[in-house]
Amino acid sequence: MSGIGESDQIARAAGGDRAAQAALVNQNMPIVFRVAYRMLQDRAEAEDVTQETFLRAWKQLPDWQPKAKFSTWACTVALNLCRDRLRKKKPVLMDELPERVDTALRPEEALASRQGIEGIAEKIAALPERQREALTLCALEGMSNIEAAAAMDVGVRALESLLARARRSLRASLSAQIEGD
Amino acid sequence: MTVTGMTHERLLELIATYGAEPMGWPEDERDAARALLSADPGAYSQALIEARAIDGVLSLEEVPEPSAALTQSILAAAPSAPRSRTGLLAGLAAMLFPQGLRWPAGAALASLAMGLVGGYAYASTGIGYDQADSAYYAAFGFDSGEDWISLE
Repeated sequence: MSGIGESDQIARAAGGDRAAQAALVNQNMPIVFRVAYRMLQDRAEAEDVTQETFLRAWKQLPDWQPKAKFSTWACTVALNLCRDRLRKKKPVLMDELPERVDTALRPEEALASRQGIEGIAEKIAALPERQREALTLCALEGMSNIEAAAAMDVGVRALESLLARARRSLRASLSAQIEGD
Repeated sequence: MTVTGMTHERLLELIATYGAEPMGWPEDERDAARALLSADPGAYSQALIEARAIDGVLSLEEVPEPSAALTQSILAAAPSAPRSRTGLLAGLAAMLFPQGLRWPAGAALASLAMGLVGGYAYASTGIGYDQADSAYYAAFGFDSGEDWISLE
């Protein structure tokens, strides 16, 4: 939902309309939680971030400007909260690490590797932070490139670079695992 | 704005960046990319196979569901609607002034204005304290206050 419909829903939610608030939460909370979970790999922390995101939303709603979809705004807030938490945990940015060397991965090999499939969450979690954000928003949550770039506060070209690198890293990681099996 | 021109290099980039499914490609480039792909599918088959491998693995990724308590706690913190007047005083006011407090307030203001105007008019006539004093002195057989003072 976007445009007038979402603006109207947000105005009603800001005015204390319980049904509008519940609808806003039901429509947007799952994506915020999933993004936070993929970034933090911890359910409790992801729930904390989700709750904090909506606390900020409740404060923001009376002054809401419909410049972006609510989900995009909420993901931006959630990503910033995740970055703060990751920074406290791990001061060295993973983006500075070199990419793994890509070796050809055949689809049948990837899909035949049950261990590879089961470990996909760990492999995504092992990606550099910004690549993980890009992959989460575009490939896993189906956001458009423009929405994902806005949520990450980067340009579309930068987003594409992060996405391509993320996929290359995943591919290399899976290939390395298959070769090691 | 829709992109009409699509190059071989850009289509390879799209596949490597967004995956093998055209629905994942940027909307403004999708039609042109599809057209180029249809024109020469063999040129992109290897790129598509590799991209599908990653797409397939990503599609199997699972994330736990958030707890039901999370939804409840988020909604519990949501802003409330502005409060309406309730309670004993509000009930009493409604009983005494079923039409609301606008008329009683107006009546009080009107009374205040009338009192002020009346008081001012009475003071400006000069009738008041002096005449009352004269009547008082006359009642005791004096012509004026001066006689009363001289008697003291």
